[in-house]
Amino acid sequence: MAAPPALGIVATLKDAFRTVPGIVGGGMLVALLAMVVIVPIYAPFDVVSTWGDVSAWVDNPRLAGPEWSDIFVPGTLPRTITIQPEDFRKTKVVSETFGITTIVLRSTFDFSADYFPGELTFRLFTTFKDITPLVSVQLERPDGETVELLRTTPENQAPTANSYPFSQTITVPETLRNIRAWATSNFNATDVAFPKPEVTLFAEGGEDMLDPHRARLMRGEYGIRVIAVAFDSEDNIDGRFLVFGRVFGLAGTDHLRRDLLTGILWGAPVALAFGTVAALIVILTQTVFGAISGWYGGRTDEAVQRASDFFLIIPILPILILISIFYRPSIWAILFVVVAFSLVGGTSKVIRSIVLQVKQEQYVESATSYGASKIRILFKHIFPRVMPYTFALIALAVPAYIFLEASLAFLGLGDPVLPTWGSLLGTAYNNNAMFNGFWWWIALPSAGIIFATVAFALLGYSFDKVLNPRLREQ
Amino acid sequence: MAILELEHLNFHYRTLRGAVRAVDDISFEVEKGHTLAIVGESGCGKTSTAAAILRLLPKNVARYDGIVRLDGKNVMELSDEEFRKTVRWQGISMVFQGAMNALNPTARVGKQVAEPLQIHFDAEKEEAMARASESLRSVGLPEYVERSYPHELSGGMKQRVVIAMALILRPGLVILDEPTSALDVMTQTNIINLLKRLKKEEELSYIFITHDLALASELADEVGIMYAGQIREIGPSEYVYPSPKHPYTKALLKSVPILRSSESPISIPGVPPDLIESPFACRFHPRCSVSFEECGWSAQEFADILERLRASGEDGGVRWGEAEVEDDLTLVLKPEDGMDPVTYRKALEEAFHEQEESTRAFKAVTKVEVRDGGVAVTLHEATTPYMIGEAHRAACLLLRKGGEKDG
Ligand SMILES: Nc1ncnc2c1ncn2[C@@H]1O[C@H](COP(=O)(O)OP(=O)(O)OP(=O)(O)O)[C@@H](O)[C@H]1O
Ligand code: SF4
Ligand SMILES: [Mg+2]
Repeated sequence: MAAPPALGIVATLKDAFRTVPGIVGGGMLVALLAMVVIVPIYAPFDVVSTWGDVSAWVDNPRLAGPEWSDIFVPGTLPRTITIQPEDFRKTKVVSETFGITTIVLRSTFDFSADYFPGELTFRLFTTFKDITPLVSVQLERPDGETVELLRTTPENQAPTANSYPFSQTITVPETLRNIRAWATSNFNATDVAFPKPEVTLFAEGGEDMLDPHRARLMRGEYGIRVIAVAFDSEDNIDGRFLVFGRVFGLAGTDHLRRDLLTGILWGAPVALAFGTVAALIVILTQTVFGAISGWYGGRTDEAVQRASDFFLIIPILPILILISIFYRPSIWAILFVVVAFSLVGGTSKVIRSIVLQVKQEQYVESATSYGASKIRILFKHIFPRVMPYTFALIALAVPAYIFLEASLAFLGLGDPVLPTWGSLLGTAYNNNAMFNGFWWWIALPSAGIIFATVAFALLGYSFDKVLNPRLREQ
Repeated sequence: MAILELEHLNFHYRTLRGAVRAVDDISFEVEKGHTLAIVGESGCGKTSTAAAILRLLPKNVARYDGIVRLDGKNVMELSDEEFRKTVRWQGISMVFQGAMNALNPTARVGKQVAEPLQIHFDAEKEEAMARASESLRSVGLPEYVERSYPHELSGGMKQRVVIAMALILRPGLVILDEPTSALDVMTQTNIINLLKRLKKEEELSYIFITHDLALASELADEVGIMYAGQIREIGPSEYVYPSPKHPYTKALLKSVPILRSSESPISIPGVPPDLIESPFACRFHPRCSVSFEECGWSAQEFADILERLRASGEDGGVRWGEAEVEDDLTLVLKPEDGMDPVTYRKALEEAFHEQEESTRAFKAVTKVEVRDGGVAVTLHEATTPYMIGEAHRAACLLLRKGGEKDG
């Protein structure tokens, strides 16, 4: 091994950021940091507690791809259409004679996408005195047809919503009956075993309208009408109607309707924090021990080296898995365990070998001769020489720790509450994202991991280029 | 008054082959304000002597004892910590061989020159830096050097930096280990002139280590000639240069090339000796052109010489048979192809006598006698030379009272 090149930290950093991998890796790192900055802007709420709260995401489509998946299919995929309570025109007629109050909500929306919507949901907010009002929800179609989706007596008082989903998997049984009856009688449609309300309701009238595979989409202006008969003049109703799209945001949603972009953006600081903090602490302590080992020699050296051997053969992953199974530790507890098992190790050995060379150099003897103490030489003359290597080793260790965290999270052993790239992948895997074609759920968190690791690998490589004379270009 | 006195200083390294006796029982003194030049071939132990004085011991030290007196006080008795605090750089500083590498490549020059001040006097940073720049100015360096990194400087400049660093604590004695050997002649002259000036201005004493006798004459008040870990001649340069006493010094002086002289320099035959198994008695005897029977020949060495001569076909008509070493001073030679031992003995005796000028080991032969069908050769007993003389001393057996040889 040639003598270490004589460069200070600053000079090394400058040189490293002048190489092509240095520029690219540095740029990628800046992009990652940008993600960290964007999180609080994009998700200005407590991401960690919201992530575990299913009710926070109910207005998002379930398992929707990213909006830009349009580019893979002809036409446009439907976006979610939401009709908020304030979008409804409300008319309230109080009839003194009969003691009933009629409330009508009506609104229209334009459906112009090239595919059927994902599912429909109506949420009803009611306030009533003694007797629950009688509510009918109807869909008006561009062809002039009106279908009653539901006739119900909502039990929940506002602000708790009465939720009525209409989709193949979960539908009010009455709705399906209504739709079937309406389609067969009005359009002579052929019945099928599993009709989809969101298809039939948006299909052109005809024989095939009940068959999800053959129904043809009808674009145009749809209307939603809610008629309530209440028994007190103070009673009131409001509604929210959701025509869920098939795509959502930049990164789509998961099975719990959570916005994956929030998870992915949030994954960046977690990965960066875990990776860099672990790499920094581990590599720096190992550097210190390695330098002490090489510089003091003798028994100290022997002790540090044997300890390094010991920690090198201890398999950290199985230990972490065991600890995770029993304690469900937070990410910082995991970090602590990682650091505790890596106080000495491979880096101590690398740094020791560099120190053994630096030790032979004349200026170290010179420093001894002018009376510098051993510890002073260690700090003033030895560390500055090994620091550039330490930087390179840190940069190269960051991806390893990002991977470690991701692997644990993937196995479901990571932090139980934080959304991280690894845990996103883990849930995707457990929900068979691969077989169901939910590609975004796998591809985007993986892209995050790859992006971060490549960024640091490139940085590490750029250091290597500067520090390793054989790789140095002219 | 002597600023530094060494008495019986020993400093040996431990190696797998055995102890390297790099500093072997060395005694000398350096007068205040004087320069002692230590001259010797590469590997003779010059740097090791300096290291022994400054107690710069490697891990593999095998022996380290003797007396080192600085200003009359034996510093060998100090603990490592006291030694570091009081002797290093304050009492004795050193300019290391190969100044190119004596500077930390990652730190600015000014900071490095100031470091000894900070270590020994806890000096404030600004004050230390001010002193450092003063010191750099005094060795004739421009101001910007202070802020430069070592790799931005030329060899000569670095040498000056290292000298500035050695002087910053105003020590009484500076050891200069080949301070000019990697420099061109002009730069060399500049540095020597600088050293002369500083010596006068700062009232310094120098130990000037070099392999170059001519260069040593520029600066030296005294010269010590070192050979195989020992000082072999030492004295004021005005005596040593014109009238060297030791054959090795004479040979060294003859090997110095003289400008515009018709005489070509004469090199010393043979190689510098091994410091692990060094030659017996006078260590110079295998290469000495005036050596004689007492100088240290052993039976084994004698047998090796015969073997070498036979291999190169220089046996002068006599077939040296197989040599068998009997003891330190006796070996038995067997005649080849059934030659009569009596005739063989005679032939050998004549050959030894005839060739004793060219192969000086033959001078050591005292007895050649027939024994057990072979011829036993007995060598003269050796005497170890010791330093002879007062101000100008040398260690050669020829210097004993009574002139050329005893008896
Ligand atoms: N640390 C060491 N361990 C073992 N042997 C050593 C060590 N340092 C020096 N030596 C040996 O001691 C002998 C004297 O070395 P030293 O460096 O003192 O020679 P020198 O006279 O300064 O030579 P040069 O003119 O080449 O600098 C050499 O034979 C060398 O190989
Ligand atoms: S003692 Fe004198 S003469 Fe004999 S070998 Fe040594 S230097 Fe030569
Ligand atoms: Mg030397």
